[in-house]
Amino acid sequence: MSDITTTLRERARALMEDGTIAAFIGWEAGRFERQTTPLICLDAADTDRLIFDEYCVNTTAKYVRDLKQRGRIGVAVRGCDSRAINRMIEDNQFKREDVYLLGIPCPQMNDRKTGTVLNKCQDCAHRNPVTYDELLGEAMEETAPQDRYARAHLVSGLDRIARQNIFNMAFERCIRCYACRDVCPCCTCRTCFVDQRNVGWLGKQDNLSENRFYGMIRAFHISDRCIECGECERACPMDLPLMAINKKLVEDMNTLFGEYESGMTTDNEDALRSFSKTDLEEFE
Amino acid sequence: MPVVDEKKTTEEEWEPRILAFACNWCTYAGADLAGLNRMKYPANIRLLRVPCSGRVNPQYVLEALQKGCDGVLVCGCHPGDCHYSTGNYYAKRRLMIFKRFLEYVGLEPERFNVKWISASEAGRFRDTVKEFTEGVRKVGPLKESFTLAPSAGDKLFGAHNESEAPASEEGGAA
Amino acid sequence: MILKDEMLDSLLTELSKEQIVYVPKQVNGTTRFAPYVSSDKMKLDQVNTVMPPKDLLFPQTQNMYHYGVEKNSGNMFIDPVIESADQILFGVRSCDMRSFDCLDAAFLTKGYIDEFYQAKRDRLTTIAIGCTEVSETCFCESMGQDPNHAPQADIQLRHGEGGYNVTAQTEKGEALLEKFKPFCEEGEVEVADVHCTLNVDASNIKDNLDILHESHELWDSMSYKCLNCGTCTFVCPTCYCFDIDQENRCKEGVRFRCWDSCMFSEYTAMAGGHNPRPEKRDRVRNRFMHKLNYFEDRYGKMLCVGCGRCIEKCPVSLDITVLIDRANELAQAEETEAAHA
Repeated sequence: MSDITTTLRERARALMEDGTIAAFIGWEAGRFERQTTPLICLDAADTDRLIFDEYCVNTTAKYVRDLKQRGRIGVAVRGCDSRAINRMIEDNQFKREDVYLLGIPCPQMNDRKTGTVLNKCQDCAHRNPVTYDELLGEAMEETAPQDRYARAHLVSGLDRIARQNIFNMAFERCIRCYACRDVCPCCTCRTCFVDQRNVGWLGKQDNLSENRFYGMIRAFHISDRCIECGECERACPMDLPLMAINKKLVEDMNTLFGEYESGMTTDNEDALRSFSKTDLEEFE
Repeated sequence: MPVVDEKKTTEEEWEPRILAFACNWCTYAGADLAGLNRMKYPANIRLLRVPCSGRVNPQYVLEALQKGCDGVLVCGCHPGDCHYSTGNYYAKRRLMIFKRFLEYVGLEPERFNVKWISASEAGRFRDTVKEFTEGVRKVGPLKESFTLAPSAGDKLFGAHNESEAPASEEGGAA
Repeated sequence: MILKDEMLDSLLTELSKEQIVYVPKQVNGTTRFAPYVSSDKMKLDQVNTVMPPKDLLFPQTQNMYHYGVEKNSGNMFIDPVIESADQILFGVRSCDMRSFDCLDAAFLTKGYIDEFYQAKRDRLTTIAIGCTEVSETCFCESMGQDPNHAPQADIQLRHGEGGYNVTAQTEKGEALLEKFKPFCEEGEVEVADVHCTLNVDASNIKDNLDILHESHELWDSMSYKCLNCGTCTFVCPTCYCFDIDQENRCKEGVRFRCWDSCMFSEYTAMAGGHNPRPEKRDRVRNRFMHKLNYFEDRYGKMLCVGCGRCIEKCPVSLDITVLIDRANELAQAEETEAAHA
């Protein structure tokens, strides 16, 4: 891994020095052992702090949105980051030429506390970046996950009351910090429905029904665009099973409207943004 | 607990409260025709006219369920007949996913449905409403099973009219 | 006095006959302070709970008024809703005890008394336990606390081999100690002090932050990675900002207050659309300045107690101790520069 760190630093520095990019987004070491944190380099000297190892848990693509007015932005991308970039390009957040992507094949990230593979990385099907300008290191052989929807199947196999209890308990402990929304590369609305106070979609009280309204509607809003990166679940301070919800929605769309994966290209036809006259008719 | 609500949730007196979104061009006219023909259907249903079934935001459905409706029905033109050509195709995709989603988080399948009813299908409107109401009646009041959490005011609403002394002076447990 | 480990359950059962006893335990997939039930396992030996105990005094959603129109007379009514009950907070740590000092200062001093807070505060008795282990994110010693001892608590427990040393520290504590006596025996167990592994120099942080101008590059570099979610403020034991909103039904409604977060852009949004803290960096700066500078200005104490929850839970590992270190460094650099000039 250390040679990727070295190449990453070299390339980022070179790109900043020759003026190709105005900023570079990567990771740096945190204060604690095995902890990393996103690093935004605005100066060539900052690039010496870049690192890449098995603990780079953050998906960083969303920072491009904050930085794009500075010029072209360099980003270190793995599979999930590159799909996030594609997704945001498709959602008109910026253009492909606004970013310069250094692709890194992902060794799968580990949880710093347990040292085991992160939940979000377990059913990853795209460890190699799907789009990049340069690839650092060798592309690796992709292993398809045994079950892409494993997280949803754990729950969907249960009976109705059990499912209801699982989600009631989850939404009851939600503290509505909105970390899942703020970290999500699909959540790019200028004004989120949560913040439309005058419209009054959502009350500010922290109780099951308001929390469920938030949790369900946020998931539904990104349902056909979710890139399945699992960053929402990782960011959640209360450990809500958010991917069990997202995967269920993705699974339904795949079975009903045809196979697709969001973020693989920038001209995806999103399931809820299109229709076909031959769609299954179940509401006769 | 508010007196009014308690009465509604006791078993004998409880009547399902159902909200139906009806498309202006087909279902609403169909319902009108059912009325003109003096057809009888359960009075549990409240019709809410929308320009198109494509106008029905899934947020409306969830909001209605969480604010006290026992069931929600969405009705629109048959696919292909939409006044705006494609509105109901989008609605169909969206609501197919949303219905599965609601069931996934624990709602009974009887409580939410979508039906295509044209302006001439008065009989179909009547049958749909009858069938849906019976379905909801069978699964009972929603409050206990889906909206378990009391809202901020649940302990207080109605308390003022219930007794002379304001409820606050007793001081509830924290 | 010694309270033997095996007597703890009977003591808590006795105490919870008359009052609600909040103990740290695993509830619904997270750890927090929740009412004691003898069958539930407590989490007394572990480090801080995920959620702080501030919701005992300042719940995330708290009703304030019930208002409406009377059915028969048509008159309007407004009833204040003041909730309060006898509560015991058991097993709280030094850092969380100090957080009550901060909340007291904010809600009960400077000429305004928040009656909703006070009603709960007056009837709260606290039983602190000295830490027996520290987490890597604990830095309370740097913020002036002793993890082994909480001077603010009514009763202080220290765990040693086989039991707890019990000391009453206030009148309230003395009174409650009477209930302890049947379960305790004379003597003392040997206890070992613990110390934080994370240490920063926060002795001068307020002055150092004063030196750094609002437009200093520090605030840019600290805020780039912030997501502007509210995690840090909601898991913080001292963050006390709230919003007031209402819920209406027919002809009546309740006005409630709920936790708000200075990390949300909506927090400072004004009628008419102006936002005095429009950018992420302004909000990040405000949070840290409030914790380490403004609050000390106004109340003479730091609003950070060093519990480490925000460090632990921040999705992007934005670390207040890193900020303290950097601010010290930069302020020193500026001072030397000024001296040379």
